[in-house]
Amino acid sequence: MRTKLLALVAVLVVATGCWRGATSPRPPWHPNPNMDNQPKYRPQAASAFFYDGATMRLPVEGTVARGELHEDTAFYTGLDERGQLVAQIPIEVDDALLERGRERYGIYCAPCHHQRGNGKGVLWDRAQIQSADLHEERLRSAPDGQIFDVITNGLGLMSGYKYPIPPADRWAIVAYVRRLQSEAGS
Amino acid sequence: MSSLKSTPDSKDYWRSLDRLLESPAVREAVGEGAENEFPAGASDAPGGVDRRSMLTLMGASFALAGLEGCRRPVETIVPYVSAPEYVVPGIPKRYATTLPAGAGAHGVVVESHEGRPTKIEGNELHPSSLGAANTWTQAEILNLFDPDRSTSVQRRAAGETAHRPSSWKFFDAFLAERRPELEANGGEGLAVLSGTYSSPTLARLATKLASRFPKSRWVVYEPFGDDNVFAGCEMAAGRPCRPVYHLEHARKILALDADILHTESESLAAARGFAAGRKAATPDDDMNRLYVVESALSLTGSVADHRVRLRSREIGAFATALARELGVEAAAGEATWPDAVDAKLKLLAADLAASTGEALVVAGRRQPPAVHALALAMNQALGALGRTVTLHDLEDAGTGDSQAVADLVGGMREGAVTTLLILGGNPVYTMPADLDFGAALASVEHTIHLSGYLDETSQQVAWHLPETHFLEAWGDARAAGGSPSVVQPLIAPLHGGRSAVEVLDRLFGDTPDAARSGYDVVRETWLEVLGAGDFERKWRRVLHDGVATDEVLGDRAPAAGRAEGAPTIRVGESPAAGPGAMDDSSGAGAGSDTLELTFHPSLATWDGRFANNAWLQELPDALTKITWDNAALISPATAEQFDLASGDLVTLGYRDRTLDVPVFVLPGQADGSVALALGYGRTAAGRVGDGVGVNAYLLRHSAAPDFDGGLSLTKIKGSYELCQTQEHWDMEGRDLVREATLAAGFAGEKLDPEKSHQLFPSHDYSQGPQWGLAIDLGSCIGCNACVVACQSENNIPVVGKEQVGRGREMHWLRIDRYFSGTPDDPEVAFQPVPCMHCENAPCEQVCPVAATVHDRDGLNAMVYNRCIGTRYCSNNCPYKVRRFNFFNYTKDTPELMKMAMNPDVTVRSRGVMEKCTYCVQRISEARIAGKRQGREIADGEIKTACQQTCPTEAIVFGDIRDPESEVSRWKASDRDYVLLGELNNRPRTSYLARVRNPNPEWV
Repeated sequence: MRTKLLALVAVLVVATGCWRGATSPRPPWHPNPNMDNQPKYRPQAASAFFYDGATMRLPVEGTVARGELHEDTAFYTGLDERGQLVAQIPIEVDDALLERGRERYGIYCAPCHHQRGNGKGVLWDRAQIQSADLHEERLRSAPDGQIFDVITNGLGLMSGYKYPIPPADRWAIVAYVRRLQSEAGS
Repeated sequence: MSSLKSTPDSKDYWRSLDRLLESPAVREAVGEGAENEFPAGASDAPGGVDRRSMLTLMGASFALAGLEGCRRPVETIVPYVSAPEYVVPGIPKRYATTLPAGAGAHGVVVESHEGRPTKIEGNELHPSSLGAANTWTQAEILNLFDPDRSTSVQRRAAGETAHRPSSWKFFDAFLAERRPELEANGGEGLAVLSGTYSSPTLARLATKLASRFPKSRWVVYEPFGDDNVFAGCEMAAGRPCRPVYHLEHARKILALDADILHTESESLAAARGFAAGRKAATPDDDMNRLYVVESALSLTGSVADHRVRLRSREIGAFATALARELGVEAAAGEATWPDAVDAKLKLLAADLAASTGEALVVAGRRQPPAVHALALAMNQALGALGRTVTLHDLEDAGTGDSQAVADLVGGMREGAVTTLLILGGNPVYTMPADLDFGAALASVEHTIHLSGYLDETSQQVAWHLPETHFLEAWGDARAAGGSPSVVQPLIAPLHGGRSAVEVLDRLFGDTPDAARSGYDVVRETWLEVLGAGDFERKWRRVLHDGVATDEVLGDRAPAAGRAEGAPTIRVGESPAAGPGAMDDSSGAGAGSDTLELTFHPSLATWDGRFANNAWLQELPDALTKITWDNAALISPATAEQFDLASGDLVTLGYRDRTLDVPVFVLPGQADGSVALALGYGRTAAGRVGDGVGVNAYLLRHSAAPDFDGGLSLTKIKGSYELCQTQEHWDMEGRDLVREATLAAGFAGEKLDPEKSHQLFPSHDYSQGPQWGLAIDLGSCIGCNACVVACQSENNIPVVGKEQVGRGREMHWLRIDRYFSGTPDDPEVAFQPVPCMHCENAPCEQVCPVAATVHDRDGLNAMVYNRCIGTRYCSNNCPYKVRRFNFFNYTKDTPELMKMAMNPDVTVRSRGVMEKCTYCVQRISEARIAGKRQGREIADGEIKTACQQTCPTEAIVFGDIRDPESEVSRWKASDRDYVLLGELNNRPRTSYLARVRNPNPEWV
């Protein structure tokens, strides 16, 4: 009788959900697998095979993918055939490009370099770390290719942005930075 | 229904000999009619330890995950630490690279997901692949991720019995220790053994080896090389050369024991050219005609307009008689054959001669050099040289030489070889048994084997070195026509291996170790190939295109075959003229009436190198439909003579060796000729390939490696179960394959859908793209490339021999093979059958959970996680194209194999029905890309995997609402028909009737 009573209490405890809301360090129950987790490598997933634990691998150095011939080195790297930084933006600068540049600058550059390009973005507000002032004379006189190169590969504390910003957008930012500089100068 | 037999010439097709004979075994197996659609045992669970279970054992990594039981797996996000440019996670990239293939090369384009190769396709710019890829090339992706690959250097010190793991550091130290001695004695006792190659870098290193170590030797051995072809070409033209055939320019083609469309070199280009000459839209169009003379039924023989069965031994004499008929001065011994063959020979000669300048004669690699010389002489007599066949120099190639191989093995035995470096290959397994390479290896002091697997050869050498896969290392290769291309890697070596180029380069010790990679060695070669001027730009262009075009090469383009005038073929003076020349092929004194044995590469494992590839092992042989096995193929008449049936065991005796094999009766095989596929019976292939089939190399003799008489055949007790995909899904006596002849025309009757009954209202298909597929049976050569493409693209599991035997194979696309005519000399037709995507799909109406439904683009879609596995849909499918996961075939996928899966396609679980989706992931990819760019999807932008890889372009996919699309134009053809049209399922997949072009005078 007593065991039956205890069993009834136990059932009631469970049935009324006394553990509802309790925390557990373990992942939740998932009784129906439903092909939610498949034996295939997905982007940005973990791998038990590679030493760095990532499914994503770097393309082998020196290989050229289809559609990435990029013979126009000035456009894709900011360097001319002799390996020198190009002086001029290799594409035509028009209002659409400048508008695109303004938008991209606002997303990627302004947090550090500030909307006006004075190098006192949010990083300065929070931690008094100044980024490069785009109105400095050395940057005003730098070739366009150098600004492109710094966006691509980074410099000092700044990391490279070649991954999130495609080359056309990088040139748009370069064009917009030039506009900022000339406006400040006038 | 009256329109059932509406084709102009209906034939009586039979699916197999058993079917034709209505044997009791077949009645029992398939049941009669509809009462038992599946073969007996198809619903039973597997018993014992089958191959599936062995595959299951591989998944140690997954077993750990199983501890967590029913809890949701923890997923971690692992981004790039330093993200590379131009990689967007989830968007695949494509790289052109090259698969070195003997003395040629296959240009391929490899799909890469975040730096991991996932699928191999043909490179449309490469002259040898033209955008197509064959079964073996595509299956290489599975070899790359094979968990059985060798992962470390293994060393067996003198006196030890087993290998111990070592490292490249120790091997480099060993080389450094050996080098001074070799340099001092000029490389005395040093030998390199490799397979056939055609690579500028390997050729440069071979030259360097010869100058640095002048007393060393480099020997080439290839189980299925083109050595006879090259020797015959040299015999006829007076210089080493190779013929390259241009079937697209030929109107009459004769193949002498040559499977030009599948197993011969340059088969992809040949298949494309052949199909180009057969795409007749109306009976007035021009069409080529193919004659095949062969012993064993090949794919080429299957699609031939006329096929003459002759034993391989007799083909030399046939060629001689034909040559004389064509006016070539060629004397040879008298041959005797039935009058019928003689009449055919005369008709053949007349028909070839009628198309002078547009005829082509090709001899197979199995035939001796003299036959190749004769073929060239005939081509010259037919005015084909420079038109349908061009002769090219063998540039940068290392080709086989059986005498050098015999000398090497002799030298090894006598102790003249002290250091043997084996670059790839598996000579202990693939060398003819009489050479006993394994025993000779024991007499060599220092043996080194570079190999992807710890295979039969590796087990007997002192040093085993793990070789990189071609997708892991830099290299180069020349196509048959001479166009060079670079092998660019898709991923860093998974197991730290080195390529043949890197191993050879380090042999010289010119640079500190680790300083030079394969990249540097290959670039050094290409400075010469491309020239130093503007090198960087040209180099990138070659990597991007996957081949060095003449435009990039400029005046360095391969010279032969382009402008060269026809060389003088002097067959009259060549040894081919001597009566003895033909006797070479008939071996040691064998009488002409003895049984003949012919050796063939396996359509699955080739020479054995693909034995551990589960996709290929499970791929049904194109003609026998056998999976996971080889068998001795005999003709029905020979079977009757020896009282044999398929599956009986026999003992084959040849010279002083015997071998027990199962026989298989294949219609179309030459009487008195036994065909045996090499590449099976491996003992150290890996978990998949060990012990599959019978090792026919044990009967191969170096004196007659391709075919010979003098075979004895004895029936022994017992039988063997050969698992075929043949007797399943029988479609009783309906005109599934329709045929027509060019002369008779091919306007078939079409059904009027309005007159047919319909139980349910139709869907609305008036908006958006409506996808459809058309398959040209006139072009299909049954090569199975589409089946492997589908398997690779759609993550289709492998189920093992036992499950295949129960009719549970999972291929979404199967190729049905039908015979018609007499069992001795049948005609063959192939029919690829994917899902029909019926507009009135019978499967949808019976699904209780709406797991299979139509989408608005007309696709019959499968919702995997709604499926509860009732299998009603499969029962109700008239085409039997639905596949059911009876077990969780993918549960224990090894970690490496997960990389071979297409991330864009669901990996299905147990209890789920699946089938062809028209590659819906590719449709989605194109739709998303079109939406982003604000445009409609262009016709031809979406190619299904099967269409993409097809060597003959027999499949086309597109929007059937667009009347201008390619698929609409195909479907508008008179030849167009659908399978079982009278059911009014309105399939979206339709077929173009096969058109043959027979010689009206043929007897």
